[in-house]
Amino acid sequence: MEDKKLTMYHLYKEMLNNYMQSKSEHTLYSAQQFSKEMLEKDMSPEEVVSLHKSVITELVNDPSGELLDSFDLLLEVMIGYGLAHREHLSLRDRQRQLDSELNVAARMQQSLLPNNKIEVEAVDFGVKSVPAGKMSGDYYHYFVDEHGNIGAAVADVIGKGVPAAMCMSMIKYAMDSLPEQRLQPAALLENLNRVVARNIDDDMFITMVYGSYDSKKHQFHFASAGHEPCLYYSADTDDFHELKTKGLVLGVSSKVRYEEYVRDLNPGDFIVLLSDGVTECRINGEFIEMKHIKQIIRKYKHLSAQQMVDQVYSELEKIQEFQLRDDFTLLILRRNV
Amino acid sequence: MQVHTHVEITSEWGIVAARQAGRKLAREVGFGSVDQARITTAISELARNIYLYANKGQIKIEELADAGKRGIKITAVDNGPGIKDVRRVMEDGFTTSGGLGAGLPGVKRLMDEFIIDSELNNGTKISAIKWLR
Amino acid sequence: MNLKIDLQEGKKESVLYLDGEVDVYTAPNLKESLYPLAEESGKKVIVDLKNVNYIDSTGLGIFIGALKATDKSNSKLVIRGVDARVKRLFEITGLNEVMDIVSDQREEV
Repeated sequence: MEDKKLTMYHLYKEMLNNYMQSKSEHTLYSAQQFSKEMLEKDMSPEEVVSLHKSVITELVNDPSGELLDSFDLLLEVMIGYGLAHREHLSLRDRQRQLDSELNVAARMQQSLLPNNKIEVEAVDFGVKSVPAGKMSGDYYHYFVDEHGNIGAAVADVIGKGVPAAMCMSMIKYAMDSLPEQRLQPAALLENLNRVVARNIDDDMFITMVYGSYDSKKHQFHFASAGHEPCLYYSADTDDFHELKTKGLVLGVSSKVRYEEYVRDLNPGDFIVLLSDGVTECRINGEFIEMKHIKQIIRKYKHLSAQQMVDQVYSELEKIQEFQLRDDFTLLILRRNV
Repeated sequence: MQVHTHVEITSEWGIVAARQAGRKLAREVGFGSVDQARITTAISELARNIYLYANKGQIKIEELADAGKRGIKITAVDNGPGIKDVRRVMEDGFTTSGGLGAGLPGVKRLMDEFIIDSELNNGTKISAIKWLR
Repeated sequence: MNLKIDLQEGKKESVLYLDGEVDVYTAPNLKESLYPLAEESGKKVIVDLKNVNYIDSTGLGIFIGALKATDKSNSKLVIRGVDARVKRLFEITGLNEVMDIVSDQREEV
């Protein structure tokens, strides 16, 4: 420790001496580099002032001592800056700690999502979900029964970040407790709504669209709790249709009935479930038009469902300059044969 | 032989007197100019807290000699309102005065040891020690 | 973007005029102004959105909270002056079925 101080002292003295003689930019550059070393050695501003004072005492002739005395005042002032610097360092450590806690939470959240592959002959399935921050307020769910029927959902919790993520885990466990309704969209939403309404803050709510695909009849049954409309793509006419639904968001009132709708799918037709992070993405401050989203999806329709959602995400990410404002979830279900 | 000084804090004059006494003793104990300034700043902050939140109180400054180690101990005592949530005031970035003061975490950083004892409506006692190295 | 909030308070009816965007940043201010009105009993609380062209989900949550509060206090919440974009939001979320939403101010009596 003392050795280190001594070396710093000599280096600084040499530098200052040089500068007083040459006034060269070169020496100023060394001083700038030297400051990095000081920071690395954890020297506080008051120590720097003290160092400067003791070096300059040796180097200049100041018979009245006035100039040197002035450094006492500067040193006193620098104590405050030193404290601010230390506080900053400790807050930075604290931030790192919070960051790593958030990373753990984000991994736990990831584990709440299904990760099995859907391998059903009749259906090609793909999903992509990306949080704007570390934690997501979007949720998706899917499952396949033993007959190859599929249940799939996309939900969006109000807000984003940690509060939304905590709410999301409630949805997951509530859905797990309703295995009988997994292929009955309206009944599932009704039951889920009762759980949510009981457990949610007055100014929170959740939107969800739930659909089930009948692999024999090739019908898509769906119901929506205030969610962005799904899109239906018809291969025959190469057209998109918004699937209009009625239904209140989850959590407003405990007695809500949901209507169930049905859509027949022909081979090549597909259904798109999305969250408002898709429709509300902004380009230069302007909202993207639904028309534009449809164009992007159409562009990749020759790919598999998973490649489609991946490509659509990459493209939307690019036009938003890689800054997501909201959590993004896109799910595509296409009839194969 | 140990020296101690008591300074009554009832006005900003008291704060200055406590600083003066602290700097003098720190110099006598053998602290360098940087540590003198740190000790003085710590005294200042403690005295200011007394003045701002309790109106009056005492700063005691004493020399310590313990197993060959020498140091200085500052004790701030008041019978003011006390601190409701000590953990909170010891957090970085939290200052009740809303100002940019060093606050108690600052005092803790400036010194080597720090003990705070506060009872709501009964006052606060803070001791801080700096050892000579 | 900011949100300007103007209150015209009457005996039986209060009108809250909003100007700007109701989003995650401005929602706390709206909550502070709107909830006390919604909690008063037997009152009609009108929120005028003529000068609002964007509401995000957090903003919408404030209106839901206010709706629950007026239900409890036997008051009535009316939203008026919604433009096409905001109207679509209330329709998609199904809130138009449980809230009084008037798209044209002149229809309001």
